[in-house]
Amino acid sequence: MYLYQIRDADHFYGGKQVLSIADLDIPSGSITGLIGPNGSGKSTLLKLLGFLEEPTYGTILFQGRKVAPFSRVVRSRVTLLPQEPYLMRRSVFDNVAYGLKIRGDTRDLKERIWEALNLVGLEPENFARRKWQALSGGEAQRVALAARLVLKPNVLLLDEPTASVDAHTALLIRRASLKAREEWGTTLVVATHDWQWLYETCDSVLHLLHGRIFKGGLGCAVYGPWRIGQKEMLHKELEDGQLLVVPKPEEGKQMAVLDPSRLHLALPGKEPLLKWSGNMLEGFVIRLFLERNGATVQIAIKVAELVITLRMERNRVEALRLQPGKEVTISYNPREIEWF
Amino acid sequence: MGFIQEGFAQAVTLLVHRDPATYSAISTTLSASGLAMAASLILGIPLGYLLGYLDFRFKRQLRILVNTLLSLPTVFIGLVIYALLTRNGPLGNLGLIFSIPGIAIGQTILALPIVIALTATAVEAADTNLRKTLMSLGANRRQIAATTLWEVRLGILSAAVTATGRVFTEVGISLMVGGNIKWHTRTITTAIALETSKGEFGMGIALGLVLLLIALVVNVSLAGLRKRS
Repeated sequence: MYLYQIRDADHFYGGKQVLSIADLDIPSGSITGLIGPNGSGKSTLLKLLGFLEEPTYGTILFQGRKVAPFSRVVRSRVTLLPQEPYLMRRSVFDNVAYGLKIRGDTRDLKERIWEALNLVGLEPENFARRKWQALSGGEAQRVALAARLVLKPNVLLLDEPTASVDAHTALLIRRASLKAREEWGTTLVVATHDWQWLYETCDSVLHLLHGRIFKGGLGCAVYGPWRIGQKEMLHKELEDGQLLVVPKPEEGKQMAVLDPSRLHLALPGKEPLLKWSGNMLEGFVIRLFLERNGATVQIAIKVAELVITLRMERNRVEALRLQPGKEVTISYNPREIEWF
Repeated sequence: MGFIQEGFAQAVTLLVHRDPATYSAISTTLSASGLAMAASLILGIPLGYLLGYLDFRFKRQLRILVNTLLSLPTVFIGLVIYALLTRNGPLGNLGLIFSIPGIAIGQTILALPIVIALTATAVEAADTNLRKTLMSLGANRRQIAATTLWEVRLGILSAAVTATGRVFTEVGISLMVGGNIKWHTRTITTAIALETSKGEFGMGIALGLVLLLIALVVNVSLAGLRKRS
């Protein structure tokens, strides 16, 4: 059963298209990660999933039904933690209690608020009576999360919940959010750049670029300036003098994206799997990350100013003896580069 | 300079001995201004919220109009209300000319643009994440309005204080619509104007001191509320 079904959803702000999703289903009880550069449409997608706004065109079905902002079903079941949560000018207790009070659901109020504060790692005795302005940024973030968790929502939408907090607070926020899924079957959608969120906890990860879901995943986005090269190709000269060769884009598209599933990795001096003129880049491994399945590893490779991320079988990583600092060669087919 | 000192001395005497004419003017002022402030807050806060919160066509033009009304001269309001309420005027049958409710109507017109404009500014200045937060916590439109107004309560309090100051100190409306009738529609400000023109500085200064005292009470209350918030 899909909780959300998005069909041909296009969203515009001031005449500018910010989101275009042809087809997306989000299963009930799943954890979905959203990743993408600033302005890629992550926050807009979360606002649409939270029914804070309606898509300009297209439909978003919730539990198979079309619902509108302020409809009762959404208000009682879906909640969003914005990137910069707002705490009302009242105590921590009253901030956390707000959602319950406006629902008229005040039975065992104190116990439930205590439980929510404990869930986010804030001692109720110390924090419940504190005013909103007596909190650090990380504490405020956790109070805002507690205000959502106390509602035991069906859907918890998190917009970069750990972007501006320290590692310990990030861990507490992640743990509390996961507990919501474990305890109440809450569906989580998380926009984040936190790798641990994305690859240790998410069931699926959506890569957004220019408001569209990029099916290739991971990858690397490259912006201009571009120079016209030979054979109708464009060149980008990287900081270390290497040339990235790409085909000419359609009108209006400015960002070239390397699809990692179509990149080939080899060690220097070894024969690359493909041999094209001008399609090899040299770099070195900066990060290896074992994915949750234990079978695949993400490899981040620095090529001049770019960081290209691709996925490889764990045994192949071991066979190539890849480790941070190891020099590698990436080869690609320029015709397979996508433009956004 | 002697007459000023005499005036202060007389002021104390009038206030301490509860001079009936002085207290009548104080009572009339509090009644008319109280009515006007109640009406302008009841009407102005919701209108100011809508003006600040909603986006609609001609919003900018409406803001300009409201801001222009902030500079309405009190004698002009007095003139218009007098023309409407006078026996031969379109609303003459209501019998409100030379009455406290008549003064209150004029003062409401004076205070309303202040309450609307400053409430709208306070709502516009509220954090952009407030609405998103309230919606995401499940608030409906009415709850969003109530919580937003509560969040910007200090701005609304300032609007009320500014409007109160303007209403208490105006002369034009009270004089033209009220008629400055002793024991009936004579307010503090019209009494000061009259007594000063007669050379009765003591009464004028006494009433001036009362106005200052009211301003002090209002501002001390505001400071107290601000601290509590």
